[in-house]
Amino acid sequence: MPEMATILEVLFIIFKVVVVTMILFSLPLPLTWMERKIAAHIQVRLGPFRVGPHGVLQPFADMMKLMFKEDIIPYKADKRLFRIAPIISMVPVLAAFAVVPFGNDITIPFLNEEVSLYIADMDVAILYILAITGIGVYGIIFGGWASNSKYALLGGIRSTAQMISYELPMSLAAIGVVMITNSLSLVNIVNAQQGWHWNIIYQPLGFFIFFIASLAEINRIPFDLPEDEGTLAAGYHVEYSAMRFSFFMLTEYVAMVLASVLAVLLFFGGWNGPGFLPSIVWFVVKVSVFIYFFMWIRFTLPRYRYDQLMTIGWKILLPLSLFNVLITGFFLI
Amino acid sequence: MSDGYILEKRKESAVETFFNRIFFIDFIKGLSLTLKYNLSRSITLRYPDEEKWIPYKRFRGQHTLNRDEYGRELCVGCELCAKSCPTDCITVIPMEDSAGRGIADRVARVWEVNLTRCMFCGLCEDACPTEALKLGREYELSCFSLSNAVMDKDRILIAGQGEPLDLEATGAEPKGWMKVSLDSIDYITPLDFKKGDRVPANYEGGVNAAASLERTEDGIRVVPDLSKTKKWW
Amino acid sequence: MEQIFFFIFAVVAVGSAVAVVAFRNPVHSAISLMVCFFQVAALFILLRSPFLAAAQLFIYVGAVMVLFLFVVMVLDLGRASFDEPVFHRRIWGIVVVLGLFAEVVYLTLKGEPSHIKGPYVDGAMMNNTEVMGTLLYTKYIYPFEIVSILLLLALVGAIALTMNSKGE
Repeated sequence: MPEMATILEVLFIIFKVVVVTMILFSLPLPLTWMERKIAAHIQVRLGPFRVGPHGVLQPFADMMKLMFKEDIIPYKADKRLFRIAPIISMVPVLAAFAVVPFGNDITIPFLNEEVSLYIADMDVAILYILAITGIGVYGIIFGGWASNSKYALLGGIRSTAQMISYELPMSLAAIGVVMITNSLSLVNIVNAQQGWHWNIIYQPLGFFIFFIASLAEINRIPFDLPEDEGTLAAGYHVEYSAMRFSFFMLTEYVAMVLASVLAVLLFFGGWNGPGFLPSIVWFVVKVSVFIYFFMWIRFTLPRYRYDQLMTIGWKILLPLSLFNVLITGFFLI
Repeated sequence: MSDGYILEKRKESAVETFFNRIFFIDFIKGLSLTLKYNLSRSITLRYPDEEKWIPYKRFRGQHTLNRDEYGRELCVGCELCAKSCPTDCITVIPMEDSAGRGIADRVARVWEVNLTRCMFCGLCEDACPTEALKLGREYELSCFSLSNAVMDKDRILIAGQGEPLDLEATGAEPKGWMKVSLDSIDYITPLDFKKGDRVPANYEGGVNAAASLERTEDGIRVVPDLSKTKKWW
Repeated sequence: MEQIFFFIFAVVAVGSAVAVVAFRNPVHSAISLMVCFFQVAALFILLRSPFLAAAQLFIYVGAVMVLFLFVVMVLDLGRASFDEPVFHRRIWGIVVVLGLFAEVVYLTLKGEPSHIKGPYVDGAMMNNTEVMGTLLYTKYIYPFEIVSILLLLALVGAIALTMNSKGE
C-alpha cells in the first residue's frame, strides 16, 4: 500500500494535467475572439458584435457551427492519414505544455500542501519542447499529402521546408540562453532571471532571432506560407472541414500561446516581477502582451515570398544565431 | 515640398539605411501606425440594430413629390422630369383637375419612377420648375418583388392629403408657389409616412442616430431616434 | 510497472519497424519509421537518459524524417521504383541480416536487457545532460570530434554535389 503522501502527489499531478489541458482546450475560444477584435479595430471596424455583449459569445457560436458541420473526406484522399493528421498536429503542442512552469510554488489553503505550478520539471525541458513541437509539422505534412490536392500538398511541402529552416536558428537562439543560465530546465532558467536580470538584457539578438523564428515555426504572418491564401487557397487544410479543421485552428492558437510562453520564460523573466501581484498573474500578463504582439504583427505586415523566407532563414538568421552563440561564449569566458 | 503633388523620398545615406535595417525602423513605423488605428474609434455603424446613418440634406435618395403650405400638390405634370431623365425611368401622365388638388389646374395622374433603373443623378430634381420633385433621404429601398421597385405617386407624395399645414404653429408666411422653401415644411418622407416616424426636411443630417430595428407585418424597418445623435467622423 | 512499459514500447517499435518494409506506400513506410523512432525515444527514457530521448526526437523525428518525407513527396516515388527486383543482391542481404542478428543476440545474451535501473531520482534524471556532456568532452573527445568532422565533410560534400550539377 503506497503512502498517503504519494497518493496525494499522484492526485495532484493528475489534477494539474487535467486543469492544464482544459485551459489549453478552452484558450482558443477567447483567443479567436481577441484576434477578430484586434483585426477589426486595426482595420477601423468593430468586429463581431451581435452574439453576446461585444460579440464575446461569437466563438461559442462558431464552435457550435463547426461541431455540426459535415465532416467531408475527399474521395481520393488517404482516409486514415487524413483522419489522424489534425490530431498529430495538435498533440505535440499540448504535450509541450507538460514541462512549462507557470509560476512559483503555491500553498493550497486547506491541505497545507506545497504545489508546484508545473506538471514536470525536466532536466532537458527546452530540448524537449523544441523537439516535440518539431513533430507538429507532421500533422501539416500528412494533412497536406493525404488530402490529395495540389494546394494542400504545396502547403505541406512549404511547411516542411519552413520548419526545418527555422528550427535551427530558434534552437541556436535558445542555446544562448542556456549558456548564460547554465541549465536546460525552464524552472532553473526562470529562477536565474530573478531581480530584473532578464535575459532580454543579455541576449537581445538572441531574442530577436528567437522571436522571428518562432513566428515562422507557428506559421503566422509574415511567415504563414503553408496557408498562404493568395497562392494556395488555404494551404494544407484546404480539404478539411468541421471539427478536423477546427483542430488545426486549435493547434495554431495553442502554438501561439506556447511561443509566447517560451519567449516570456526564456527572455522576459518568466513569472518574476514586482511583488505586489502573485507570480502567476505576472506570467499571464506577460504572455498576454506577447499574444497581442503576435496578433498586432499579423495585421501589420504583409507575407514574405517563399524565396525571401528561405533567404531570411538560412542567410540571415542562421549566421546571426551562430554569431550570437559565439559572442555569448566569449562573454562567458 | 511646398505644395507639390509628388512626395519625393529623401535619399537615405548608407549609414541611415544600415541603422534602419538593424533597428527595424520601418517595422516599428508600421506597427505604430496600426496601433494608432487599433486605439482609434471604429467607423463601422451598428446598423440596423443600434445605429442608423441620417444623411445630409443634399443626399439624393428616394424621390418625393411635395406640397405647398396649403397642402396642394406642387407637381403640374409638365413631364420635364421624364424628359430630363437619362435612364428613362420616370413616367408622367398629366390630367386636368380644377378642384384645387394642385397649384394649377393640371396635376399628374400617374407619376412613376422605376427604381431599378434610376441612378439617383438628381437631374429630374433640377428640371422641376415648381420644386415639386425632390430626392429625399430615404435609402432603405430593398424589396422582394420588382413591382414594388416601381414607386408610384401614392407612395411618394408627401403627407397632407389636402389639409393645410398649421401655419400659425410653424410661423411661416404664406408664399407664392414658386418660392416654397422646403426648410420651412415639416414634411414626412413618404416611406415613413404611415409609420409616423419623421426626419424633418429641414433637419441638417450627417449624424449617426440611435436606431431600433422593428419587425412589423409589412416587413422590417429601421427607426432612427433623432434625439440621440452623435457626430460621426 | 516499468517492465510493462518496456514491453509496450518494444513491441510497438519492432512492429512499426516491420511495417516500414512491409508497407507499399513510401509515405506510410515513413510514418512507421517515425513511430519506431518514437518508441526508441521512449525506451531511452526508460534507460534514464532523457537527453538522448530528446535528441532522438529532435534529430531523427524532427529533422531527418521530415527531410525523408520531403524527398518522398517531392520526388513522387511511384510504385514502379519499388517493384524493382533485388534478386542478385539477395545473398548479400541475407548475409548482412544474419550477421546483424547474430550480433544483437550475442549482445542481448551478454547484457541485462530488462535490468531495472533504480528510481527516477534527481541523480539519475537531473544530471543526465551534465554527465553526458562531461563524458563527451573528456573520455570520448576523439570519437566525438571525428564524428563531427565526418558530418562536416558530408555537409560540404552535399553542397559541392549540388554546386556541380548546377554549374554544368
